[in-house]
Amino acid sequence: MNKLHVSLFAGAVLLAVILLSFSSERMRSWQSGYLRVSNPALQAGSAISGQVEKLQKGLKTLDELEVENAALLAQNNELRAASQLLGDLENENKRLRAALDYRERSAFKLLPAEIVSRDASSWWNTAKINRGFGQDVDTAQPVLTADGLVGRTTTVSKDVSIMLLLTDENCQVAARVEGTNEQGILSGQRVAGNATPELVLNFLNRDANLQPGMKVFTAGVSGAVFPAGIPLGVIKEFRARELDGQAVVEPAVDFSKLDDVFVVQGSK
Amino acid sequence: MIRAILLFAAVYAALIAQEFVPPVPFLGGAHLILVPALFCYGALWLSFPAMLGLAVFTGLLSDLAFLHVIGDRVEIGLGWSILFYVLAGTALQPLRPVFLEGRWEIHCLASGAVTLMLLLSQYTMVCLRRGSFLFDGTIFWHLVGPAVFALLVAPLVYFFFSLLPAGEPARRASRRGGGLTR
Repeated sequence: MNKLHVSLFAGAVLLAVILLSFSSERMRSWQSGYLRVSNPALQAGSAISGQVEKLQKGLKTLDELEVENAALLAQNNELRAASQLLGDLENENKRLRAALDYRERSAFKLLPAEIVSRDASSWWNTAKINRGFGQDVDTAQPVLTADGLVGRTTTVSKDVSIMLLLTDENCQVAARVEGTNEQGILSGQRVAGNATPELVLNFLNRDANLQPGMKVFTAGVSGAVFPAGIPLGVIKEFRARELDGQAVVEPAVDFSKLDDVFVVQGSK
Repeated sequence: MIRAILLFAAVYAALIAQEFVPPVPFLGGAHLILVPALFCYGALWLSFPAMLGLAVFTGLLSDLAFLHVIGDRVEIGLGWSILFYVLAGTALQPLRPVFLEGRWEIHCLASGAVTLMLLLSQYTMVCLRRGSFLFDGTIFWHLVGPAVFALLVAPLVYFFFSLLPAGEPARRASRRGGGLTR
């Protein structure tokens, strides 16, 4: 390496060190700028990805068609039975109405949002939504669906925001178990093997009498990001450890089918 | 020149495309990453100053795309990837004369190794920040899966860029055996 190369190398390292010394707020602001510039590309990618997904769903092998046929036959029988008892059209109507009315029924002021992309990195469970400060979204706002808590916003740009999912180890939520006084901290896993990994509820009493099937909700402690009463999941297993108890929780939200979410913008 | 411009554009396009590539279930839900394979091609093909430019560009965009800021805590700070790519590119530059003679397998091996090193160093930093080190089959595949993918996809990257005009300086460097680095 000649002198010029050494100087350039030193310059690049110096630049990296200067960037590393930035405050978290300044880093967040740079990332927000990047999201703003990349938003058209992200939106285009999301549209293409949606089309590809539709195409994939349309293309099925003979085996898949056989499985689907068997499932449809079973479903047909089920629907006939349901029709005789209640009328499946009425049920479906009620279900759709409930989903549409969720926003009105909810105790929170909700902003509907769509998932643009998700889980782009190996070590963090995040997703991008198509709402930002242009729609009054701020950092650290809870995001949920009609089923329960999804996560919270971290970096917010004009029309796109990054959301930390509940399945991430860093997303820690104060939680309580329904029908008990048990409270603990719920978090995800460091590295998940699938889209909907199990959650863990730590710092419970080691003598707690928790049974599988008990529901877990946000505790809503003062100063916390998440308001009280949002469903988090259902207890699958409880184990007593040396100092505390730990429960394995199945998330209330199916993270593998996450398309539409709501950003909580305060109480009504 | 066209090849160099396309290389920079491809890095940005790969970062956007990565957002929409779903995790691979049979690799323990690992995410496939394309950027290191593209960077390794540039590190082996470009002159030292241009390689540094690509390293800064790739590192900065990678950090901005995947920066993880929670409250006032950042797990892997902005600038870290620049440092990684500058060091990786500098380590690959001595292999440039051999690569320019047509040894495409160097790019293959470099892509796998750089991807593995990138993920391993990221995971080590995440563990240090969180105060505990975990290792199981899922984490193994999150490290090794993308590296194997990079190894397999590297020949396609090489083939694609070899179809594009290299430009006179690169051809001269190839004839001299990497003269631009001297």
